[in-house]
Amino acid sequence: MKNKLFVMLSVLILASLVLSACGTPAPTQAPATEAPAATEVPAATEAPAAEEITLTLGSWRVDDVAAWEAINAAFHEAHPNITVKFDPTNPPDYNATLRTQLETGTGPDLFFVRSFATGRELFDAGYIASLKDLPGINDNFTEASRSPWATDEGEPYAVPIIAVSHGIYYNKDIFAANGIEVPTTWEELMAASQTLLDAGVIPFANGTKDAWDINEVVMMQLIPSNIGGYEGRMAYLNGERCFNSEEMVASFQQIADMKPFLPAGFEATSYYDAEQLFAQGQAAMMMDGSWSIGAFEKDATDFEWGVFYPPALEGKDTYVTFHIDAAIGANAASPNLEAAMLFLEFLESPEFAELLGNNLPGFFPLTKEVPTLSDPIAADFMAFNNAAAGVDIRFVWEKLLAAPSGSVDAYTSLNNNVIAVLKGEKTPQEAADAFNADLAAWYEPAAACK
Amino acid sequence: MSQMISSGKKSAGLLSNENRRKITWVLFLLPALAIYLTFMAGPLFDSLRLSLYTGEGYNPTKFVGFQNYINLFTNPLWREKFLGAVRHTFIFFGIHMLVQNSLGLLFANLLSSDFKGRNFFRTLIFTPATLSVLVVGFLWTLILNPNWGAVNKLLIAAGLRQWALPWLGRENLALPVISLTSVWQWVGMPTVMFLAGMTGISDELLEAARIDGATEWNIFWKIKLPLLKPIIGIVAILTFVDNFNAFDVIYAMAGARGEPSYSTDLLATLFYRTGIAGEHPVGIPNMGMGASIATVTFLILMSGVLLWLYLSRRQSTEA
Amino acid sequence: MRGLKLNQALSYILLTIWSVIVIFPLWTLIINSFKPQKEIFKDPFGFPKNFTFDGYIEAWKTGRFDLYFTNSLIVTILSLTLILLVGSMAAYALAKWKSPAANFLYVFFIAGLMIPIRLGTIDLVRLIKALNLQDTIWSLVPVYVAMGMPIATFVLTAFIKELPGEMFDAAKVDGASEWQIYSRVVLPLMRPALATVAIFNMIKIWNDFWFPLVFIRAEEARTVALGVSLLFGQYRTDWTRALAVLSLAAVPLLILYVLLAREFIKGLTAGAVKG
Repeated sequence: MKNKLFVMLSVLILASLVLSACGTPAPTQAPATEAPAATEVPAATEAPAAEEITLTLGSWRVDDVAAWEAINAAFHEAHPNITVKFDPTNPPDYNATLRTQLETGTGPDLFFVRSFATGRELFDAGYIASLKDLPGINDNFTEASRSPWATDEGEPYAVPIIAVSHGIYYNKDIFAANGIEVPTTWEELMAASQTLLDAGVIPFANGTKDAWDINEVVMMQLIPSNIGGYEGRMAYLNGERCFNSEEMVASFQQIADMKPFLPAGFEATSYYDAEQLFAQGQAAMMMDGSWSIGAFEKDATDFEWGVFYPPALEGKDTYVTFHIDAAIGANAASPNLEAAMLFLEFLESPEFAELLGNNLPGFFPLTKEVPTLSDPIAADFMAFNNAAAGVDIRFVWEKLLAAPSGSVDAYTSLNNNVIAVLKGEKTPQEAADAFNADLAAWYEPAAACK
Repeated sequence: MSQMISSGKKSAGLLSNENRRKITWVLFLLPALAIYLTFMAGPLFDSLRLSLYTGEGYNPTKFVGFQNYINLFTNPLWREKFLGAVRHTFIFFGIHMLVQNSLGLLFANLLSSDFKGRNFFRTLIFTPATLSVLVVGFLWTLILNPNWGAVNKLLIAAGLRQWALPWLGRENLALPVISLTSVWQWVGMPTVMFLAGMTGISDELLEAARIDGATEWNIFWKIKLPLLKPIIGIVAILTFVDNFNAFDVIYAMAGARGEPSYSTDLLATLFYRTGIAGEHPVGIPNMGMGASIATVTFLILMSGVLLWLYLSRRQSTEA
Repeated sequence: MRGLKLNQALSYILLTIWSVIVIFPLWTLIINSFKPQKEIFKDPFGFPKNFTFDGYIEAWKTGRFDLYFTNSLIVTILSLTLILLVGSMAAYALAKWKSPAANFLYVFFIAGLMIPIRLGTIDLVRLIKALNLQDTIWSLVPVYVAMGMPIATFVLTAFIKELPGEMFDAAKVDGASEWQIYSRVVLPLMRPALATVAIFNMIKIWNDFWFPLVFIRAEEARTVALGVSLLFGQYRTDWTRALAVLSLAAVPLLILYVLLAREFIKGLTAGAVKG
């Protein structure tokens, strides 16, 4: 009787031994790509006696392993005694994992820092090293780029590395087949969408299953043109405008306008589903971020496609959402802080900007000197910035995320209300009123808007 | 004299016998207790204490008494989220209790008799339980996809276009649909446990009933079911405890916010979002609040289990 | 007689329907992992027309599945063995020791089932660090054993209490010590309950990725669940690879299960609780 349990166990153990026997001769994969770089550079620029140091770099960019290995290899070439290992975590788990590691002293030496409140809280808690003595940080970046990772007094704690842009990817073949030109006003865009719908094509691939994308890449790229970019946003932050102003209602109205042009099951269409609908040629357009260039270049190969910026309402200027997204900071408790600082300095170099911009098309370096981007679509995105009346970050990021416990932050409120409009539960005016009420409840400058 | 000594010895021996038995039991319990205390109970109960504190991060230090609990029940936002999560958790558990365990009982009954292919079916019913939730979530999301999923394609092919719904996108549909996905994965568990119970019922008893002309239906209700009572009890309480802490399947299919619009938010996802991950995109956790959610969940569960223990004990003394 | 035949036909129909519901998603998983991305969307449920191994080759090159499997197997087997041994000893004492202390401990053990384990993460990471076990697979074993205790003591104690008391009395009359009763009488009889506990815990341990995520950074110590979740995140937009990764995660355990299923179910049903 008992034997069978033992048979079961011994089979399992045997299997594990066989597997481990197969496993041992296989060399580590990851270093293999870095090793040749190390051996090809015979004469080190540093003292050859320097101690071998390995730094880990935590990130939420799981998709970008290959690009970061190339970037780290370039750094290793300049500092042969330092190896940087890119060690990403899936985005939904990143914040929790990083915090656990930092609070228990097991954190990575370097890590991606989220902008504004999130990163600031980690710095205030003492987990991120101050960069006030990092050479060049003030010269290489504009104040606008630095401020999402600096205290109110301007003390920086992370090196800004990535901005992302937004736009509408469109299928040129479908546009041509239906005689549609790239629209220059919102009204034209809606008319074009109607033409497409009548022709049996899904105009927009976007859905709401994942919720974040309708908020971040649809609503927040429509808002700037309605409110007038940075200056407009400041009017809300200073309390000069209420959050249910006509400009905000107009933005919610645009969401309502789009509803008939979304896929039939848009409520259950996830972000990745939407990308596939576009890439498979089933939908004519998708509002998405510049970070998806790579995915579309790989998948959307059966047709010609391009990108344009969501046009403003008739008579309004176009403002572009160019969001300053990520920075890298050093773990204040890292035993290799000096080496980590060398890496942060490398992030300020034109060499890094060049590597980032061209290895990760759609992620734009934030150094003052922008390298030429070889990717045509990435270059198109950059061209939006120049053509626009102005450029701004996403509407809610600055100041409006730091809601006290028990109240709703602007991101969540905007998200809920956008979805309520799409579901037909609220009119654009009601949605804007609800958004205003949520913020007036805690955001001081908006208190008078109650 | 010798008698006295021996009787004295005997009473001392009795005492030490008692003690020795106690020591034996303690020795039996010690390894389990040591590991459990160090690596689970200690950290967990220590963390429940955090429900009395507030602050950012995982180790809030500002003592606030019962303020977190007061907020949980009186702040309209917290109360709405919390009561929603309680309701969804009961629905999630209820669907498992009803559908999963009834199906398990049905399958066990079908599989307890000998017929060709029985082993094949036995193996198959348990198979999904060996999959990771990541796999299950991804597969069913694909199958239920409104654009290219098999379910809607079949419905449209059958002329039921109006039934081809966005299953995971409607607030009233998503929770039942995800619960059924989870039932699909775990139905093998009660099946196997019921099967074990049914194999234990003596064949002579069933044969005798059949000779007396009882139908299979009657045999199931009048003989098998009453004999299965203790196992039904264990299955029920395991279903309760397991599903009241369910997290993975919701996280995989509806994300940490329990999309759409928190309609699939369970107590465990609410705890995770509040205490561990923080709300997207800020991601600053409020462990004090999280711990108070966990404590209230714990109290609900504990009262359920104590009720169960009380009922099952009363029943066994009655019997 | 006719009733029996009808019953049997009905059984077959019901079981066949369920089998289709079980097999179809698995079929979808495996069949699509051999198709190029475009074909997955054009024809998600048919046989591959342009058969490709790319997903597997790429996944195997990037991830070290041989290593992940070895790690997962070692952790799972070691943890299960300890859970069964330590848990059954405790359960025996909890079932047979008539005292308030035992009753209290019983409830105390079960209480662990009712608090989300992530709540204790910070304390656990500190503990693992203090024991200098972080970045090794050994960090997982004590946590999994502790996590297995509630379910083990709960199921096994309930089971031992159901065993007829005469059996213990007989052994005691023969002068057997508690240890002898445990190892010679109780343990062999407990097999079905042990199997239940084993399977419950095996699935939880094998599929857990939270603790590997917070304890382990070194690639050498990754488990299947962790490796797969990372690769899956990386391949989110490349369905051929994503499905290949998921298949690589699912299929070995499936094969192992199918090979051992007869033993497992026999062990579970043989000598079950006599109601």
